Amino acid sequence: MPNLAVRGTEAPKNAEALDPVFTVSGLSVFYGDYEAVRGVDMNIGNREITAMIGPSGCGKSTVLRCFNRMNDLIPGARAVGKIAYHGEDLYGAHVDPIEVRRRIGMVFQKPNPFPKSIYDNIAYGPRVNGMKGKMDDVVEEALTKAALWDEVKDKIKQNALSLSGGQQQRLCIARAIAVKPEVILMDEPCSALDPIATTKIEDLMQELTREYTIVIVTHNMQQAARVSDRTAFFTAEVDEAGVRHGRLVEFDETSRIFTNPSDKRTEDYITGRFG
Amino acid sequence: MTVLTTPASAVRLARQGRPIGEHIFRITLLSSLIIALGFLAMLLIYVVQEGWPRLDSTLWESMPSIRRPETAGVQSGIFGTLWIIGLTALMALPTGVLAAVYLEEYADKTKWYNKLIELNISNLAAVPSIVYGILGLGIIARWLDFGFTVMTGAITVSLLVLPIVIISAREAIRAVPPSIREGSLALGATQWQTIYRQVLPSAIPGIATGSILALSRAIGEAAPFLMLGAATLVRFNPEGVWSSFTVLPLQIYSFISQSREEFHILASAAIVVLLAILLLMNSVAIWLRNRFQKRW
Ligand SMILES: Nc1ncnc2c1ncn2[C@@H]1O[C@H](COP(=O)(O)OP(=O)(O)OP(=O)(O)O)[C@@H](O)[C@H]1O
Ligand SMILES: [Mg+2]
Repeated sequence: MPNLAVRGTEAPKNAEALDPVFTVSGLSVFYGDYEAVRGVDMNIGNREITAMIGPSGCGKSTVLRCFNRMNDLIPGARAVGKIAYHGEDLYGAHVDPIEVRRRIGMVFQKPNPFPKSIYDNIAYGPRVNGMKGKMDDVVEEALTKAALWDEVKDKIKQNALSLSGGQQQRLCIARAIAVKPEVILMDEPCSALDPIATTKIEDLMQELTREYTIVIVTHNMQQAARVSDRTAFFTAEVDEAGVRHGRLVEFDETSRIFTNPSDKRTEDYITGRFG
Repeated sequence: MTVLTTPASAVRLARQGRPIGEHIFRITLLSSLIIALGFLAMLLIYVVQEGWPRLDSTLWESMPSIRRPETAGVQSGIFGTLWIIGLTALMALPTGVLAAVYLEEYADKTKWYNKLIELNISNLAAVPSIVYGILGLGIIARWLDFGFTVMTGAITVSLLVLPIVIISAREAIRAVPPSIREGSLALGATQWQTIYRQVLPSAIPGIATGSILALSRAIGEAAPFLMLGAATLVRFNPEGVWSSFTVLPLQIYSFISQSREEFHILASAAIVVLLAILLLMNSVAIWLRNRFQKRW
């Protein structure tokens, strides 16, 4: 079981994850005519934490949002290439994006609790998905998993907006967990939080890898090094026509990326000589 | 003497005296406010003073009369106004809110027909109310043969307030942060679930205040009803949507055009009633806004 202390000292995994949850091949993402990301190939391993790092504007969020088809909501956005989820084409004609989003949850950069009670925030997902079972138990379980239960159990009917930023973000994680997804995508989940709240969420991610596959975008290099099993380094490159595209430069085990990267650009970035 | 030497930093922070322009600007702002409020106060005082002798219960307990202004009331006008506003609310609010939901949440804003619709709604909001009266008369009263009934009046006024309801509902819907929609959709909610369970509840205060203000505008309208050829002297309350009716502004108008002084007093008293209804509706709007206001 991956945990902070032994991370990196484990027997080296294969560079290519076995039993990948996502297999991405030749993925390019367009916003209208603009090709924001070009030719991404990567596999997301089951019950691993995959980190995506890179300078601003290199397309990390763009790629992340393809995994649960959130990009469908942006007019003009379109993905070319293939993303397979357990071998099934995520963008296939018969795939229902609603179902995709139910199985692949997302936590956003800025905590976005609904302006309702803590309880209703958690219960919302199960309710709209018509899930059966006792809602009180569902809520308690999700909050417990998100390490928030003890802090809020006495004020479960209070408005979620009265929580602190760090608590709100854990509430959003709990909300995502409540629909029992398989994957949780996180786009800079700690960027609005203080170090203590950040530590809590990092610990939580470690805890969650028992059951969930996590993909996290982060600008915090230490965070990527601390929590992830694999790291993808993206950067923006200018092509022959003078247009900037996001590219995946290197994708490898985190320990290798941070100690012995094979690409000069990765090394420059992680040592702070770039961006 | 050391006392007289001011350190450089103190000089920079010291009050330099405001430029004259600053003063003129403030005075202009203040006098605009005073002029606006002053006129309003004058109007109110004048109307209340003028109508005072008739501000008693006969005003809303009895029916209008052309022969006996001393004991005439405006009950049929009050009921007519309430009927029209109620029916208008029933017709215009759901339609307007749904149209706003379509425009904000579903319409592809790059398509020409959606742009055309948007443009036309803004234009319609600026059309004078008398034009709606002509429309009501020609299409609803005559062509559809609805006659001069509560239904005709309410449909006409609905058309009149619909653009305002749509515009204010759109504003309210747009004010709901996109992150709320994203959060809901990312949990596997459908678009309609997201709208119905997140966007609309959050937009309700804004929609409600906008709608009430739109309806308040309709209450004061006399022009479209005049155009419809309304009877000014209706001595019974509407019994249903197919009943004929009158409204307060129309009654006020007919009292004022009488030559006897008692009618002018009666008109002022009726204006006070109209203002009271307006004030009541506006306070409901303010109460709703404060009660349900959401902060993000
Ligand atoms: N909705 C959009 N419409 C058009 N272009 C977009 C949109 N979102 C992103 N882009 C463009 O796509 C490129 C990649 O953006 P993206 O948000 O994925 O970068 P990022 O790596 O997440 O950056 P950051 O670290 O700042 O969050 C940028 O050039 C951006 O301008
Ligand atoms: Mg981003």
